[in-house]
Formats: sequence, C-alpha cells, structure tokens
Amino acid sequence: MNISLDPWIWISALLTVSIFSFLYRDNPFYRFAEHIFVGVANGWAVTFYWHNILVPSLFDPLFRRGQLLLIIPFIIGILYLTRFIPRVSWLVRIPIGITMGYYVGASIPADVQAYIIKQTQGTILTSQNFQAWNAGNMGVVWSIILFVGVICTLSYFYFSKEHKGVLGITSRIGIIFVMIGFGAAFGYTVMARISLLIGRLQFLLGDWLGVIH
Amino acid sequence: MKIIDILAKIDRRIIYLILLVVVILPLIFPSAQSVRVMPPVEKFFNAVDNIPEEKALIIDFDYTPQDMPELEPMAIALLRHAFKKRIKVLALSLYVQPLGLAQRALTQVTEEFNSTAETSADSIIYGRDYVFLGWQVGPILAMLSMGESITNFYNIDYYGNRTDTLLLMKHIKNYNNVGIVAALSPSDIPRYWVAYAQNRFGVAVGAGVTSVSASEFYPYLQTGQFSGLMIGMKGAAEYEEMVEKELSVAGRRKASESLPSITYAHLLIIAFIIIGNIGHFVKRRQK
Repeated sequence: MNISLDPWIWISALLTVSIFSFLYRDNPFYRFAEHIFVGVANGWAVTFYWHNILVPSLFDPLFRRGQLLLIIPFIIGILYLTRFIPRVSWLVRIPIGITMGYYVGASIPADVQAYIIKQTQGTILTSQNFQAWNAGNMGVVWSIILFVGVICTLSYFYFSKEHKGVLGITSRIGIIFVMIGFGAAFGYTVMARISLLIGRLQFLLGDWLGVIH
Repeated sequence: MKIIDILAKIDRRIIYLILLVVVILPLIFPSAQSVRVMPPVEKFFNAVDNIPEEKALIIDFDYTPQDMPELEPMAIALLRHAFKKRIKVLALSLYVQPLGLAQRALTQVTEEFNSTAETSADSIIYGRDYVFLGWQVGPILAMLSMGESITNFYNIDYYGNRTDTLLLMKHIKNYNNVGIVAALSPSDIPRYWVAYAQNRFGVAVGAGVTSVSASEFYPYLQTGQFSGLMIGMKGAAEYEEMVEKELSVAGRRKASESLPSITYAHLLIIAFIIIGNIGHFVKRRQK
C-alpha cells in the first residue's frame, strides 16, 4: 500500500467517494460534490470560450485589428441576447434562423446519403453484402436474417393498418427482432456502467491508495 | 418458499456491495485472461497498419472524463500503434472538454517512446511525428473545412504555433493526405464523420465507441462505412492485445486489466436476473 501524497489526488478521491455515497442515500457530501462539479464545469466552460473563441476570433480582430466585416457575426450573435428583453425578443429568430438554415442545408443531403441510402443498400441481398460479413457461406444466412429483420421490424411500426393476417405475422416477428436489439443494448449498457465503475476504482485503488499498480 | 421472500426484500445496497466486491477483487488480485480479438477490431488495426507512408492518421479525441475508462485505453493503444509504425498523427477534438484528456494521452505515449529512444530519429517529436490541432468552433464545420485545407481551418495548433510552419503539415493538406479518421467518441460524432467527411471527400472512418452506444454503430460496420469498430473496454483490450502481439509494444494495458472484473460482474448480474425471474414466477404462482 502506497498512499498518494498529492493533494489533487486526495481532492479527486474524496469527491469521488462523496458522489458514490449517494448509493447509500442522499447526503450533504453528495450534494456538496454535485454542486462543486456543476459550478466548476460551468466556470471552466465560460472561461475557455472567452479566452479561446470570443477574444482571439472576434474581439481582438474586430476592435484591435480593425477587421470590420466581423461586425456582422458580432451583431448576429448579440441578437441571441434580445431574448431577455420582451419588447425586442422577436429578434432572436434571426440568429436561430441562420443557424438552423446552415445546419439543415448541410445535413439533409449528407444524412440522406449516409443514413438512408447506404444503410438501405446494406440490407439488399447482393453477393457484395454476403461477403461483407466475413463469414464465408454463412454470410448469405446473416444477410437473409438481416433482410427479414428489417422488413418485419418496419412492418411492426406500420400503424396505418390493423396488425392482422400477413402484417400480423411480420409485425410479431418484428417485435422479436426489436426485443433482441433491446437485449443487446441492455447487455452493452451493463458493460458500459461496470466499465465506468472500474475506471473510478482503478483511480481510487491505484492512484490514491496505491493498492494496485 | 421462505428464501424467495428474503430475496424479494433484499436491500438494494447489499446488491451494490456484492457488485463492488466482485469488481474490486479481480483488480487487487489480478488473473491473466486471454483476449480474443474479434473481426471489427482486427479490421481497425489493419486499416491503421496499412496507412501509406505519405498519409496521416487523424485521431479525434472526443471523450470526456465520464467516458475516459472505456475510450482512453483505445487512444493510448492507437497512439502506440501509430508511433511504433511511424504513422503521422493529427490529433484534434471537436469539443472543448476532451482537450486536456487528449493532451494527457499524447504526452503519456510520447514519453513512453522517448524514454527508450537513443537518437532523434527514434524519438517522437512534436511537429514532425504528430501535431495537436486542438479545437475549433463547430464539429460539422471542422469536418467539411478539413476537406479543403486543414491548415486554413486550424491555422493555430493547441500550443499556439502556426500550423503551416510545422514540418508535418507541409505534406498533409486535406483528406487526400489522410489514411483514416479514428473517431473516439461516446456520442454521434463517428456517424458525422461518415456523413460529412466520408460522403463528400471519401476518407475512411474507424470508430471507437462506448459500450452503451454500440448497437447504434454496428450497421455502419456491416455496410463498410466504418473501416473498423472498437466497442468499450473489450474493444480497447482487443486493440491492446494486437498492438502488443503484432508490434511488440509493451506498456500498461488498462483495458485488459479490467476484463476479469467485467466478466465476473456480468456473471453476477446474469445470476441476479435469473434469481429475480425465478422469484417473480414463484410469487405469481403463489397468488
């Protein structure tokens, strides 16, 4: 055992233990650590944005170096603050409109191509897709299962017709695929949460208490 | 039936305590657990390994402290791989929070290599072997702008140097000079790389993601949009295994050390689920 003498390690460790204490029950140590976290995170973010974005990218070039074109993004940015003045709060629609316009314009063609067309292509029964599984002859089987899974799951989410007859059968098969998907997601979620616990325990037992190396 | 009643009333804190013991013991008394490398990680490793000499590897560090246990070992393993094979590395973050963690990983692996280096040629030197581009506003803007010119968008690196003065950046202009983008992220960012950088500029993308988001990303591997995929600590451990076995790079393997804890914790949770279900059905029958 080789306990750390670094005060920052001690602060981190005590805050970690305070947060974990919530597992027993709510208590002042937990709330203290929670408030510290929120305060520090916000304070750090505001300082970072000020020193790394607003000053070097806007205020310095505009007010010290005279790059007057930057007055346009400056005014558009300022309009966000009109939200706090009821008489002119409608002006906030201008920067929101510009931001939405930019992102929608940039994302629609990219999203359709990457998330819809390519993904649909991946479900089509072609020899290229069979080989994509790297599973030899089993690639055909996996591709068929994928194809059936996609069709049946989509049919489960088709609500314009009562789920009877063929649609009833496919939607019931679809729900099996959905449940398998949920099961896999739950398993992965458990692994994720345990991993986070391990990360903190490696810090507490290693960096702080020196029990593990 | 009495035991079922006792189990039904068990305090959740006892469950937490049992879980804690099961996770802690393998950390204190480590046991060797073999790591079987799965195809998604092997593909990732090969994609990085086959980057031509004139091209670079972009590592997008987008993990924050809460995702660090899963994603930092991936970053360390990737950096060991790249530095060992002398692959040029461009590091960046699309958000501000990961910057410090990215710097930490770069410093750790650079020191590992430089501690055994004997000449300048053996050493890992900033500006020659890797560049830390830091952060600029807007993830999508960064992805699109780097397709035109990396130095125009990131004109200053994380340390305040002009990027066009750095030796490495004289040869790396845009995605044409990039072998693969490795996106280490707990969010949707790997998918953004596919939509904006790969779709438009054709650059290969590999992803390192947290376990909780894994099921969202598998479809992109099957369609070939991802050139490789690492999932959670297991994925990181597999990459660590490949780096050590294939390249003989030794170093602490944090993800591999954690695998026994994950295994026993999973077995415990499976046991709890089975016990819970038995209890549920027995109680229902009693009613």
